[in-house]
Amino acid sequence: MNQSYKPTKEDFQPAAKSVRAEQISRPSLSYWQDAWRRLKKNTRALISLYIIIGLALFTLAGPFLWNVDPALQDLNQISQAPSWPKQAILVDPYQRWGGIVLDNFPAEPDDYLDIIPAPTNLRVVDVATTKRVRITWDPVVGAGGYSVYRNQRAPETINDLGLPLGVTDGGNEVSFEDRLNLEQREYFYSIVPTDGFDESDTYITLVVLPDLAITMSEARERNLLAQDTKLGDSIAIEFHPFGTDYLGRDMLARLMEGAQVSLFIGIFAPLLFVLFGIIYGGFAGYFGGQFDSLLMRFADFVVALPFLLFMILFKIAFGIGPGESGVMPMLLALVLLGWPSTARLVRGQVLQIRENAFIEAARLLGAKDHYLIIRHIIPNTMGVILVTLTFAVPSAIFTEAFLSFIGMGVAPPTPSWGSMCNEGVKTMLSHPHELFFPALFISITVLAFNLLGDGLTEALDSRMRSKE
Amino acid sequence: MKYLLFLMTLWSAITSAQAPVTSADFEEQTISIALTQEPPQLNSMKATDQVSNFILPHIMEGLVRYDRRGRIVPGVAYKWEIDPDGMGATFWLRENALWSDGKPVTANDFVFAWRTTLAPETASEYAFILFPIKNAEAANKGKAKLTDIGVTAIDDYTIRVELERPTAYFIKLTAFATYFPVREDFFNSRGDSYAADAQDLLFNGPFRLTEWVHSASLKMEKNETYWDKEKITLNEINAAYITEDSRARLNLFIDGKIVHTRLDGETYKDALTQKQRIRSFSTGSIFFLEYNHRAGRITDNLNLRRAIQHTFDSDKFVNNVLATPGNLAAESLFPVWLQGVDDKFRKEYPAEVAVVNKGLAAEYLAKAKSELGIEEFPALILLSGNTPTATKQAEYLQGLLKSRLGLDIKIDKQTFKQRLAKMTSGDFDFVLAGWGPDFDDIMTFGDLFASWNLNNRGRYSNPDYDEQVRIALNNVDPKTRMEAMAKLQKIIHDDAVILPMYEQGVIYLMNSKVRGVVRRVVGPDPDYTYSRVIK
Repeated sequence: MNQSYKPTKEDFQPAAKSVRAEQISRPSLSYWQDAWRRLKKNTRALISLYIIIGLALFTLAGPFLWNVDPALQDLNQISQAPSWPKQAILVDPYQRWGGIVLDNFPAEPDDYLDIIPAPTNLRVVDVATTKRVRITWDPVVGAGGYSVYRNQRAPETINDLGLPLGVTDGGNEVSFEDRLNLEQREYFYSIVPTDGFDESDTYITLVVLPDLAITMSEARERNLLAQDTKLGDSIAIEFHPFGTDYLGRDMLARLMEGAQVSLFIGIFAPLLFVLFGIIYGGFAGYFGGQFDSLLMRFADFVVALPFLLFMILFKIAFGIGPGESGVMPMLLALVLLGWPSTARLVRGQVLQIRENAFIEAARLLGAKDHYLIIRHIIPNTMGVILVTLTFAVPSAIFTEAFLSFIGMGVAPPTPSWGSMCNEGVKTMLSHPHELFFPALFISITVLAFNLLGDGLTEALDSRMRSKE
Repeated sequence: MKYLLFLMTLWSAITSAQAPVTSADFEEQTISIALTQEPPQLNSMKATDQVSNFILPHIMEGLVRYDRRGRIVPGVAYKWEIDPDGMGATFWLRENALWSDGKPVTANDFVFAWRTTLAPETASEYAFILFPIKNAEAANKGKAKLTDIGVTAIDDYTIRVELERPTAYFIKLTAFATYFPVREDFFNSRGDSYAADAQDLLFNGPFRLTEWVHSASLKMEKNETYWDKEKITLNEINAAYITEDSRARLNLFIDGKIVHTRLDGETYKDALTQKQRIRSFSTGSIFFLEYNHRAGRITDNLNLRRAIQHTFDSDKFVNNVLATPGNLAAESLFPVWLQGVDDKFRKEYPAEVAVVNKGLAAEYLAKAKSELGIEEFPALILLSGNTPTATKQAEYLQGLLKSRLGLDIKIDKQTFKQRLAKMTSGDFDFVLAGWGPDFDDIMTFGDLFASWNLNNRGRYSNPDYDEQVRIALNNVDPKTRMEAMAKLQKIIHDDAVILPMYEQGVIYLMNSKVRGVVRRVVGPDPDYTYSRVIK
């Protein structure tokens, strides 16, 4: 019982015309515009980008704004912690001090006592300044000399007297002048009597707070003098916002100068070898076959080459003698020996991607090799590439640091963040700022590159587009 | 020969035979110490290193020895006489000086030791210290027979020494380890293994070596056959640890396992925080900037050297750059401890010090430029060690010379061995160098820049200088010798031969229960011979 549909005439009328059948709902975005748009949404990546721009400004524009010679030594302010601007008192140039030797007291004791009492009346002579601290005390019977100690905190026991500054060789030599690296801080001076050989178990302690002082000639040399300043006046001395290092050099200026070396090596070397690695790996992976194995075996060969040996060879080839900067051979060695890892990663990715269906589809639609590589393959390997790049940046900075340490990188007095760290480690406990700042800058740089890399990976990954 | 003037920090395992309970025992009168290295062997004729030169004077004794105050006192010889013309000396030996096997120490033992040391086949590096003896140098070079050497045993207890030339300090030399006696029959019975182990050595010193566990420990016990044993209080010195690691030694000290350790720039702050009582001591070594005086070198120019002399402030350098206690600003090649005629040499003949003066320095620099016929100085190479302290010093000099004189300096950091090789070949403009004394006489420093001295690595050559050295070498009258040395001191200053930088001081920890330990500039350091443990 077939009952078929009977068309009516209405069925053959044209449908109502839809005016807006196809509307482009979003503005057309190119690949890079899209990536930028997505990057902007990623706060972490954006902050990192600003930090990197900031670092670039710090490196390039910083030295013009903070116009201090990074190699200038200031022995008045050695290993100063970061602080506000300081004032110093103008004093006379240093005059040798004869000390106090008593005529009416024996130099050698008449009798060796088991216990020599502690000297009394320990006091400061003149004004204590960071140029010199002069102390004197009353002699004790039985002493054949005195030992002078200095500590930075109040001594708790006889074993806690601090640095042995010196000894006097007679029971009548009752004064001492300390000039050893004095800073503007409290010092605890202790005097221990000796019988000429061994120290007694008694001591007396005095607290001294020296005034920060600068001599007229030093001030003149450093252009710190105004027209009418005279002895005894307070003048502002050089301001070191980040403190100074072990030779009194300005840390901020050194960080800026060091950034030039560290960032140059840290950014250029990875960029160059990653770029080369991409091209190399891309070729190998895309064309495959015999060509691929040939290229990859060569990459294996390069991996086996020792970096340090090449560094030395380049240094000799470049004619770089002792005490000269080895930054250019370092860059060359890093680039020539660093690319295989990127090339391998990119090749692996390319091998995988080129087998994907969308590549086949594009090829069927008539896409050429170069279009396929640029539009489809490279963007898909971007994640790997950026990860390699962000990891290569810190490793290049650290390589530079290591090479500078063994004397193959920057030559003193030129600093780099790495060499500054190496110097800072030695005084980590007493002057932490010398390690902290360069280490902080390396960390920030590395972190910023990593986070930006993360952001870029997400932004550039074309697969992420569909997930929104 | 110089000490190895550098510090090496290598991680090495700490080994101990039997860790003692306390480092200093009052009841038993024993102490424990740590050595930095194991002595290669304890053959007094061949010893060159510091550890051997520390142990040997504890277990052996020469004709004379040093007392607590560093004076020369009788050792095996109870008296001696120097010929009026200074060309010879006679020593009379005490009959109660015995070897550890009970046999007496005789004149022949000295004659045998000195001859063997000088024999070319022994190849002793310290043979040169015997060279003041007649024919010694010739015999060492194989040009004279060993029997021609100017030392004879007149009888068992009398030694007669003929000298090559009058040597004022010959008596002091006989306290040195190379001059110690060796008994022929014992030496021959041991053959190649002589002094390689505790039982392969005879002792005539205050202590005897009773135990030597290789690369682990050594033990010295009081020598009951020593003639002067009444003066020795300590029963045992136990070198229970051998480690080069200064931090490990500091920990051993803090744990009460050893009585002494030397501190360096890295460990002294730890010692401070650990509330340890730090002591300081002047090693008697001098450190200086040595110029390359070879013809054609820029540093051969006197006015350039003078410009640097008027720029460098050793006082500031010691206080602010070195900044560890114990160092002294150097003013001369001669350290302050050297003895002059009646008092210290430097008190009798104060050294002239160049004032730091920017204008004067600039004048000299301009003169140097016109003499050399150059507009700008090329970059100069400063050879330095690779330790942190050496690097810091080099960087300071680099900054100083750049900012004050506009000189560009390149720092060439090298290991000790490599630095020595470069110094010898003359591959430098300046070098940070040092010199430690071998014996207690001004000549240990004085002949350093004589044109024939192989350690004069800057190849400084000045007939006037050589003349003064010869005067001091060939005379015995202290006045004449010191006058010559004073002239020499002036030549060094006027000719700016070197730039004296500092006299080295070291800081160390010493257990306060141990008293009477002597720190020495020459001789064993530290010297525990006369020390004792108090309650």
